[in-house]
Amino acid sequence: MNAACYNAAVFDRAIRPALILAVLVAGAAGSAVLRRSAERLAPGAVDALYDVPPIPGDVARSLAFGFRSLISDFTFLEAIQVLAPRKSNWTQAEYDPVDRRLYRLLDYSVEVDPKFAGAYRFAGAALPHETVDAKVLGVLSAVNILEKGVRERPDDWHVPFLLGFLQSYYLHDFAAAGRSFAVAARAHGAPSYVGLLATRVAAQGGSLDMGLELAQAMLAQANEDETRRAWKERVDALMMERDLRAIEAAAQRYRADRGAFPPSLRELIAARYLTREPEEPHGGRYLLDRGGTARSTAAERLRVFGDSTHLEVH
Amino acid sequence: MHRTVAAIAANTVRELVRSKLLYNLLLFAALFIGGSLFVAQLTIGNWLRIILDMGLGAIELAGTLLAVIIGVGVVAGEIQRKTILPTLAKPVPRWAFCLGRYAGLVLLLAANVGLMLGVLAAVLHLAGYSLSATAVWAAVLIAVELAVMAAVALLFASFSTPLLAGAYALALFLIGHLISDLQAFAARSKSAALASIARGFYMLLPDLEMLNLKSHAANELAVGGAFVWRAAAYGLCYAAVVLVLAILIFSRRDLN
Repeated sequence: MNAACYNAAVFDRAIRPALILAVLVAGAAGSAVLRRSAERLAPGAVDALYDVPPIPGDVARSLAFGFRSLISDFTFLEAIQVLAPRKSNWTQAEYDPVDRRLYRLLDYSVEVDPKFAGAYRFAGAALPHETVDAKVLGVLSAVNILEKGVRERPDDWHVPFLLGFLQSYYLHDFAAAGRSFAVAARAHGAPSYVGLLATRVAAQGGSLDMGLELAQAMLAQANEDETRRAWKERVDALMMERDLRAIEAAAQRYRADRGAFPPSLRELIAARYLTREPEEPHGGRYLLDRGGTARSTAAERLRVFGDSTHLEVH
Repeated sequence: MHRTVAAIAANTVRELVRSKLLYNLLLFAALFIGGSLFVAQLTIGNWLRIILDMGLGAIELAGTLLAVIIGVGVVAGEIQRKTILPTLAKPVPRWAFCLGRYAGLVLLLAANVGLMLGVLAAVLHLAGYSLSATAVWAAVLIAVELAVMAAVALLFASFSTPLLAGAYALALFLIGHLISDLQAFAARSKSAALASIARGFYMLLPDLEMLNLKSHAANELAVGGAFVWRAAAYGLCYAAVVLVLAILIFSRRDLN
């Protein structure tokens, strides 16, 4: 009896804790090994297809039971996830499915919460983009969302401002752009340059200087780092285009006087057709070939802003 | 008699602060509000909106569940467990019992809203923002909404079982947020009879959307103080009427 009691006590004091510890260690080690092994054998991840919920936005607004802005945030966050994998070197065919989903999600966000100023601004900045095959996609979708935004949030100057930018820069509808800038200028907190744009865009619409001024205004109002970087690139590209056109115009004058294009940019400056070599905004240099065409050593020439050449806008 | 009501209210608060459900729901709300800081990092800009939406949403959701589940429990639960009988055996009128229970519950709900608003303000501070006036108004109206829901829960608990009373109260919460559509239906209906019925239901049911400023706070839209006080007064009047009905029904109920 005493031996049995002694054995039970030994089991309680020494063997049971050791057994529990052994089971815990074996379980932890087993789970770590099996996890690694399962990870190796796991099928490839299925890409999450972010899309709008199956309920129409106006119905979801009612069925949100007071949580409509939370639902709107949800589709807005999905839109941001859709945007993330978009590459700058895609063609229209590659962009189309992503852009359609992005538009549907943003449209749904503002359908559920029509006061969502952030979604309007994001739509104006994220939907329009250029492709490598000389097209601008998403402009008409962005205009559609922004026009709704101007009706719903006339107090937020960014919304009509973005609309005015798209109307002037891509659609070349300067009368409509002037009206949109005027709406933006009247809103509380609008910078003074918006009012100036409203008056100038109608008078000087389509000029390179106007485009540069618009891009500089967009750079000034951009809040996010990525957007600021994109607009800085656009400003630099437009400044480069302005310089290249000035060099080519000087080369044309040179040829008119002397019968041939100058052999180099240095010769053009030496002959006083240019006062000095313009500073290349990307940090490179300007070159002039014998056919009178100028180029930069640092960046490709802008395709967009010509008096006669326009991108194909969608 | 007000001392009896105050004593029952104080006792209700003491009883409820020992409730595990209360702490579970508070923890859920606090985690949800804290989690908004991480969710906000998924967005581009709009941090303030995401944090406010999630924070105010958590305050309302946790508060509504507390108001309904605990509100039903403080009367119907006591009736079902027969623990109400020793209390009513003392010289305590039924109306004082009901009013005391309701006052204790509303005090606890208001304290929870205040506490959760403090957590939300701390999270906003960490993200570099501060609480706007509209966000504070939204929280005030959430507290009023919870007072309405507590009264509704008490009303259903006064004549029904806890499970059914909870289901009825939650259904009324959902209906209360759809009620503005009923008003639109009344305005558009071509049938005069249908329009009158819809208008009647609109007047009878609580308009909880009137007490919903969450979207305004998230969209940084200013709201007039006059509206807030009027909406709050509407909610409190509605809660008072429902509470009186609950007391009338409870006073006539056979507890055996």
